[in-house]
Amino acid sequence: DATQGTAGDCQPCPCPVGATCAVVPKTREVVCTNCPAGTTGKRCELCDDGFFGDPLGQNGAVRTCRACKCSNNMDPNAVGNCNRESGECLKCIYNTAGFFCDRCKEGFYGNAQAANPADKCKPCSCSPFGTVDRQTGCSQVTGQCECLPNVAERDCSACQPGFFNLHSGNGCQRCDCNPIGSTN
Amino acid sequence: PRPDVHPLPPGTHLLYAQSGRIEHVPLEGYDMKKDDAKPLLHLPEKVIIGVAYDCVDKMVYWTEITSPSISRASIQGGEPTAVITTELDSPEGITVDHLSRTMFWTDSVKDRIEVASLEGTQRRVIVDSDLVNPRAIIADPPNGNLYWADWNRDAPKIETSYMDGSSRRVLVKDDLGLPNGLTFDPQSSLLCWADAGTHKMECMNPGRGDRRQVLEGIQYPFGITAFGKNIYYTDWRRDAVVAVDRYAGRESDEFQPQKRTKLYGITAALSQCPSGQNYCSVN
Repeated sequence: DATQGTAGDCQPCPCPVGATCAVVPKTREVVCTNCPAGTTGKRCELCDDGFFGDPLGQNGAVRTCRACKCSNNMDPNAVGNCNRESGECLKCIYNTAGFFCDRCKEGFYGNAQAANPADKCKPCSCSPFGTVDRQTGCSQVTGQCECLPNVAERDCSACQPGFFNLHSGNGCQRCDCNPIGSTN
Repeated sequence: PRPDVHPLPPGTHLLYAQSGRIEHVPLEGYDMKKDDAKPLLHLPEKVIIGVAYDCVDKMVYWTEITSPSISRASIQGGEPTAVITTELDSPEGITVDHLSRTMFWTDSVKDRIEVASLEGTQRRVIVDSDLVNPRAIIADPPNGNLYWADWNRDAPKIETSYMDGSSRRVLVKDDLGLPNGLTFDPQSSLLCWADAGTHKMECMNPGRGDRRQVLEGIQYPFGITAFGKNIYYTDWRRDAVVAVDRYAGRESDEFQPQKRTKLYGITAALSQCPSGQNYCSVN
């Protein structure tokens, strides 16, 4: 307030070099108004949308604002792709998930960081008959579903040799064929 | 600039979002009075995406994605107030039906379209299927139509329905890329869009289905709004508001704010409401 007639009437803006500031009349709060490129916030402490970092080092070392890092599993046409401070990815695509969209989401398996989207994450597609509790999830890496007793295949879709009745829902039963009269 | 709401002088203005601010440029006729561009409000911690204007109460409505919410403020001054704060993930496009006093918005994570009264009550989901990246949404209140665009890279489309979500149909699906912006001009009954994938601006009469190109070679449009002979759009590459003369099919002016960062939604704050009524405004 420049009208009080004291030496402390005008104080420097609590903002990075180059920024201007203003006082919210109602709350007397000081807000920076022209933050340096790529930054925003009351004190220019935040990164613009699509970037993350800690430009003022409020929570540790100064981290300049960088573009969201989401393992090429985000779409540049989307908004709010990552948390502006931590960089946590918020809009993973191609069936990926995780802090950096670096793994497959639940119900998918494969390599989230493969170069070609088609090679990234494939659906587990576990057989409901051969899978424990009809689970839909599988091993992130191998894609192996959790099979009931004597059930085979990645997706638990077949009985092991010498077993039958996958559709029982309790695993496969031994064939119990007479070894003398059977060909296998 | 002051961080709270700056009352706007009378007249028509363009309102657009840039980071946590809604800025305005006054229009004189169709010309942007760039020297008089000013912030309308500044919410430094927010990322504002969509903006809509209610010409009756002279309020601006916006969507915000950092603490997902829909808020409003009078352009004649006053505090911003949140009207919707729950059950939102990534609210993007927003449009106001000034006749029936409702607002519609898209949510690109919940993948649905919702409606509520301007106070945030009587909320209802009206579309919740076959949406992947819904963004722009625009209402044509006198005719009771709603239009929206989905920039799904595998199958982008522009759709329409009545304002309760019924009679939904796809209007455009061929030769689209990333249709980010959508606007409806009530005078010419033209629905126009800006596409960051095909780099074209196009219009069509939704009833007739005739489609025609206004301009090609545009860079990265995000928001778009029609006003009279002009269409104004925000551009992510140019960090600017670009004016396009719809009839001449050429760019007529550009306004680049001092701060270089992405511009999002844009809307025209008209000095007077367009004439017209609909079922809900009389019943």
